[in-house]
Amino acid sequence: MSKVFDIFKRDVLSSTRNTLAIYMIIVPIILAVVIALSAQGLNDTAVKVAMLEDDTPEHIEFMRKYAKVELFNSVNELERRIMKRDEIAGLLPKGDGYEIIVQGNEPEMIEVYTKTLSALYELGVSKEDSRSEIYNFNRHVPPVKKMLVIMLISITIMLAGMLISFGIVEEKTENTINAINVTPVSQNGFIIGKSALGGTAAMASIVISIIITGFYDINWLMIILVGVSSLILSVLIGFLQGLNSKDVMEASTGVKVLLLPIAGSIAGYELLADKWQWTMYWSPFYWAYKANDMILSKTADWPTVLLCTGLVLVISLTAYLVMMPKIRKGLS
Amino acid sequence: MISVKNLSHSYNNDGILAINNISFDVAKGETFGFLGPSGSGKSTTQGILTGLLKQQTGKVSVAGYDTMKVQNERFNKIGVSFEQSNVYSKLTARENLKFYAKLFDVPTRDPDELIRLVGLEGKEKVRAGEFSKGMKHRLTFARSMINNPELWFLDEPTTGLDPTIAATIKDIIRERTASGTTCFLTTHNMYIADELCDRVAFIIDGEIVLIDTPKKLKLQYGQKLAEIEYFKDGKLITETLKTIDNADKSRIADIIKNYDVQTMHTKEATLEEIFIQVTGRGLA
Ligand SMILES: Nc1ncnc2c1ncn2[C@@H]1O[C@H](COP(=O)(O)OP(=O)(O)O)[C@@H](O)[C@H]1O
Ligand SMILES: [Mg+2]
Repeated sequence: MSKVFDIFKRDVLSSTRNTLAIYMIIVPIILAVVIALSAQGLNDTAVKVAMLEDDTPEHIEFMRKYAKVELFNSVNELERRIMKRDEIAGLLPKGDGYEIIVQGNEPEMIEVYTKTLSALYELGVSKEDSRSEIYNFNRHVPPVKKMLVIMLISITIMLAGMLISFGIVEEKTENTINAINVTPVSQNGFIIGKSALGGTAAMASIVISIIITGFYDINWLMIILVGVSSLILSVLIGFLQGLNSKDVMEASTGVKVLLLPIAGSIAGYELLADKWQWTMYWSPFYWAYKANDMILSKTADWPTVLLCTGLVLVISLTAYLVMMPKIRKGLS
Repeated sequence: MISVKNLSHSYNNDGILAINNISFDVAKGETFGFLGPSGSGKSTTQGILTGLLKQQTGKVSVAGYDTMKVQNERFNKIGVSFEQSNVYSKLTARENLKFYAKLFDVPTRDPDELIRLVGLEGKEKVRAGEFSKGMKHRLTFARSMINNPELWFLDEPTTGLDPTIAATIKDIIRERTASGTTCFLTTHNMYIADELCDRVAFIIDGEIVLIDTPKKLKLQYGQKLAEIEYFKDGKLITETLKTIDNADKSRIADIIKNYDVQTMHTKEATLEEIFIQVTGRGLA
C-alpha cells in the first residue's frame, strides 16, 4: 500500500515537471472560473420577470406561478433593473396587451419563455390546462450553467485519462516499467499507483469546480460516487492509449476519442425526445450526465443515483474485462 | 542460486529460437559469465531469469523460486542492471534512487553513497534527462545495488563506458562478488569475462557451446599455441603456430633451422581466440 503511494508521489513529482500535465490539471479550474464569471445570471434556474406593482393582481399571480416575479413602482425603476447584469425580462402593459423588454444580452429562451407565459395568460388558458404544458416547456429549457458544469465534469474525467496516459507513456518510453517489474511491487499495485494521480486530480478538480461555480449545497457523496465510477472507463482508456503511444501528444490525441461519446451523450440527453432517450443507454457518460444533472438540480434521490452509478459500473466493467488483458500484457 | 534446464525461447512463437535448449547452473557466490557475440541470446536469457520475459519451456529456478510462478517478493533478493539504461529523465539522480529504494521490503542503501560509488558525485540533483548515455548507464548500474542483492544480474555492465569508468565498475563488481554476491553477467567483452568470472559459458546462436573456468579454458587451448619472432631478410616477423598441428610443427622446426629466432614462447590464448577456435566465429 505504501508502495502504491510512492508510485503516486513519483507521478506527482514528474508531472510538476511536465508542462502539458500541469496544464491538464489547471485547465478545468480555469474553465470553472470562466463559467462562474460569465454565467452569473444563470445561477437561478427560474426565469426572472420584472413587472409593475399596479399590474392586475391576476396577472401578477399567474406569472408568479411560473417565474420569479420582481415588482417595481415605476417604469424607470423597472428599466434600471433590466439593465443589471443578470437575466431578467420586463413585462409592461402596452395598449391592449403587453410588451416584453430585455437588455439584449439574455439568452433567447428567457424572452421566449416570458412571451409564452404572457400569451398563455392573454389566451386565458386555465391553470390546469397550462400547467402540464408549461411544465414540459420548462423541462426542455437547458439551465445553461448547470449544463456547462456537468460538461466540465465530463471533460475533467477525460483529462484524468490523459494524465494517466502521460504517466504510462513516460514509463514505456524510458523503459522504466522493466525496472519496476524487477521489484517486489505487484502489477496491481503498479496499476493502482499509476491511476492515483489522474483519479485524485480529477476528483479534486471536480470538487473545486463545483464550489467555484456555486453549487455547494448539493449532495457531495452522490457527486463523488458518480465521479469515481465514471473515472473507471477513462482510466482504462488512459492506460491503453499510454501503452500504444510513442509520446504524450499521441497519447492525448488517443484519449481525446472519448470526447465523441461524451459530447454525444450530453447532446442526446439534452436534445433527444423522451421516446428516443433509450438510444443513449449504452453510454456510461449518459448515465453519469443524467445523475450529475439531477444532483446539481438537487432533485436526485438515492435509488436513481445508485441505478445510474450501477449502470456506469456495469458498462465500465465490461470495458474492463475487454481491455484489462491487453493492459496487463502491455505492462509486462 | 540459478538452475536452468532445457530452456528455449521464441519471441514470436514462430519457431525461430532466440535461445535453444540451454541448461546451466550457477552456484551461490559464483560469478557466472555469459559470453557471446551480439544477438546470441544473452539478454533473452537474462530476461527470462529475471521474469521480464515469459518463460515458455524448460525448468528454471532463481534464488530458490520457480520462475513459472509469480512471486514478486523474490526481487527483494535480486538486483538487475539493464543493457539499455532506464531511468526517469524528469527525476534527478537522487530522486531516481530514492524512489526505487522505497519499492523494496528490505533495508536499502543510501542513494548518495551509491551515486558516489559510480563516480557521479556532484550530480545528485541533476535530472537524469541531462545525463550522457554513460552517466545514465552508471545510474542504472548503481540502482541495481540499492537492495543489497544476493543475486545480481548484469547485462553488459561496461559496454559503452570509457576505460577509466569501466575500470571503476569492474572494481565494484569484483568487490561485491568477493563478499559473496552471486552474479550473472552477460557480455560480449572477453576481457570482462576473463577478469571477473569464475566460470564462463560460450553462447552463440542461442546455444551454449561450452562452460568452463577461464583458467581451464586457457590451459586447455592456450598451451597449444607458440609465438615465434624471427628475422627474415632483416625484418622481424611474428608467427603464431599450433603446437599440435603437424604442418605447424614442421613449420616451427623449419623456422628454427633456417632463421635467426629472436623469441619463442608458448602463448596463453585470450578468451576471444579460444572462442573463435571453439565456435569458428568472433565476438564482434
Ligand atoms: N523483442 C524481440 N522480438 C523479436 N526478436 C528479438 C527481440 N529481442 C531480441 N530478439 C532476437 O533474439 C535474438 C537474441 O537477442 P538478444 O538476447 O538480445 O542477444 P544478445 O543480448 O546476446 O545480444 C536476436 O536474434 C534478436 O534479434
Ligand atoms: Mg544483449
